[in-house]
Amino acid sequence: MAPPVSCFLLALLLSASCKVVTSLDPMCIEKEANKTYNCENLSLREIPDTLPNTTEFLEFGFNFLPTIQNTTFSRLIDLVFLDLTRCQINWIHEDTFQSHHQLNTIVLTGNPLIFMAETSLNGPRALKHLFLIQTGISNLEFIPVHNLENLESLYLGSNHISSMKLPGNFPTQNLKVLDFQNNALHYLSRQDMDALAVTNLSLNFDGNDIKGIDPGAFHSKVFQSLRFGGTLDLSVILKGLQNSTTQSLWLGTYEDADSQDLTPAMLEGLCDTSVESLNLQMHHFSDLSSTTFQCFTRLQELDLTATHLDELPSGIQGMNSLTKLVLNVNNFKQLCQINAASFPSLTDLYIKGNQKELDLGAGCLEKLENLRRLDLSHNVIKVPDCCNLQLKNLHHLQYLNLSYSGSIGLESEAFRECPELEVLDLAFTHLTIGALQSTFQNLPRLQALNLSHCLLDASNQHLLEGLADLRHLNLQGNRFQGGSISKTNLFQTVGSLEVLTVSSCELLSIDREAFHGLGRMTHLDLSHNNLTANSLDALGPLKGVHLDLASNSIRVIPPRLLPFLSQQSTINLSDNPLDCTCSNVHFITWFRENLQKLEASEETVCADPPAARGVRLAEVELSCGITAVGIFFLVVFFIFFTVLLVFLVKFLLRWKYQHI
Amino acid sequence: MKGFTATVLIWALTSPNGGGSQAWPTHTACKDGSLEILYQSCDPLQDFGFSIDQCSKHLESNLSIRFGMILREDIKELFLDISLLTEGASLLIYSYPVCEEDLPKFSFCGKKKGEQIYYAGPVNNYSFDIPQGEYQLLLKLYNENHSTVACANATVICS
Repeated sequence: MAPPVSCFLLALLLSASCKVVTSLDPMCIEKEANKTYNCENLSLREIPDTLPNTTEFLEFGFNFLPTIQNTTFSRLIDLVFLDLTRCQINWIHEDTFQSHHQLNTIVLTGNPLIFMAETSLNGPRALKHLFLIQTGISNLEFIPVHNLENLESLYLGSNHISSMKLPGNFPTQNLKVLDFQNNALHYLSRQDMDALAVTNLSLNFDGNDIKGIDPGAFHSKVFQSLRFGGTLDLSVILKGLQNSTTQSLWLGTYEDADSQDLTPAMLEGLCDTSVESLNLQMHHFSDLSSTTFQCFTRLQELDLTATHLDELPSGIQGMNSLTKLVLNVNNFKQLCQINAASFPSLTDLYIKGNQKELDLGAGCLEKLENLRRLDLSHNVIKVPDCCNLQLKNLHHLQYLNLSYSGSIGLESEAFRECPELEVLDLAFTHLTIGALQSTFQNLPRLQALNLSHCLLDASNQHLLEGLADLRHLNLQGNRFQGGSISKTNLFQTVGSLEVLTVSSCELLSIDREAFHGLGRMTHLDLSHNNLTANSLDALGPLKGVHLDLASNSIRVIPPRLLPFLSQQSTINLSDNPLDCTCSNVHFITWFRENLQKLEASEETVCADPPAARGVRLAEVELSCGITAVGIFFLVVFFIFFTVLLVFLVKFLLRWKYQHI
Repeated sequence: MKGFTATVLIWALTSPNGGGSQAWPTHTACKDGSLEILYQSCDPLQDFGFSIDQCSKHLESNLSIRFGMILREDIKELFLDISLLTEGASLLIYSYPVCEEDLPKFSFCGKKKGEQIYYAGPVNNYSFDIPQGEYQLLLKLYNENHSTVACANATVICS
């Protein structure tokens, strides 16, 4: 054979063997041994033999199974959850799940189903959740009804359903969630609704343009939640809901949906229905006045997120039962423009992400005596002396969120008006605090304080005075003078601390007595600083702590500090320039003996010597004892020395003898 | 032996790239006299379709776009990260919530894994003029678990 031909054959052979290698079964990802597997996106045409028979949770989406039948999954009889999203399934044949008694969830989203056999869902003893989203269904008779007695949720979104009429024998007794999102339902008839003989259902009609509802279709029915998101004409919905009872009614719209301005007349239907919680997000109100809200009197929760409000009208009558009001993403200029006096029973108030700079004014919320939670985060707020005037009379406030809120100057005893505060979040708000002021004085119940990235001088030892019950403190991203936590520091006044975060504070050192008196600590995060092993002396008083020292400058940990690490519960030392030479042998031995205590040990690697850079500490082999060659030379030296000694003694004795 | 090396070389060059996945083609999102926007999907799993209806150096507010893709994740929460570079230097990094539990801005919010999305409608942008030059844009859509929903490398050429 001519050489080029043989070469070509050889090359062909090589490429053939390569093909064999690439066509080997791609591997499923094991999430929990023998139980949970993810085989998505692997272009599989069958269940791989590598999956154990005991598999219970199987994510098998984005594979290729044009037909599924009783042999397809027959080996995996313990299946509880089966996700077959986008497997290009056309046919589900008879008795496909016959032997799967434990199966409770089947996901068939995004499959171009042509036909499901009458007995295709038989087998599972309690099939609870069925996802038939975007499967091309136009008629609900398509769904085989034989084994749906235990069904709790049925998802039918993004299909071509224009009538929600369920087949006569469709079992609804256990149904809790029925989801018709993004279909073509335009009319809800009385018969359709009567077929749903079940109370406390959650029904989702988002993205269906409902143009009509039979009068009385919802008469004396009770729902957990009803959603009609993106509906053009809300008056149709509200009239249709006459005499119904709903816990939560979602009537919001979207940026890409057409909607009509809301007039008082359109909202009249609300007077004849019983609704606890109402959402009207992104709508426009026309002629906003107190009459707009005349039918809102029985509401307990109202969400007006992004409804283009620049004020709420004064003189709204009868909204005494409202406990929660959401006014996020609106256009208020002053807090007083919400006319809070109309809602005397309010316990929760949210004004997040206001589109304009928000002036907190003085005493704007003083009529809200029952207020427990107040969220003013993500606003542009500029106050030089906060917060007693601004939060006047909020004596029962427990939760206050002022995070991401511009720049605030805190006066001394800044929260005197809210003595019951339990959680205070000031993260990412630029705080100005006088050097000797006790800002948080008189907050005996405060349990959690977030001061992360507040540009504070954390060396101010009076900062936390008066916080007798503080358990969680976050100081991430603030600065300590000289990059050091000294012996006298701000933690000394908060002995009840349990969780402390001092990460990303550019710390270089911690005094050995800095954490004295913090005996209740359970979590300490010192990550992302420049600490060295010298600072570990400070851990002496702490026991059983979850300790995070990741991303610091720790190189060698001397043996005397190892007991301080041993007495903690978990330790993270990842991303430190750890030394893997014999000078650190005690620590490395300790590390390998205490692997169960160590977190992120995969990322805990050597930086030195260069040969071991990147090697995981748990895998480093160090031999720092005397080597065999050393022992040999030592023995030789010892023998030589003995011989020399013997000769010397002999010589001395002889010399002595000769001189007698 | 020469022939053998040559064949192996030719085989190595022509056989499909077994290890690395193939790159998706570069598409044109819009093109007119002075402005051209090209993009390429950087999600190894799939490509997606995108176009901008109006294409000019002076970008109007509330641009209309068209967008089509298959979801590989639920999008109850969806965030968009944009980084803009020119000549290797970073000009702007921006993160924008598209869908949130307490504020689903668009009608497609809440769609489930496996669903197909086709969106034709406005995006909530400001109007501005694009200065002359070539820009690189990296766009990333991800959900609450930081799982990638879509990823695009785009080039904007404004002359």
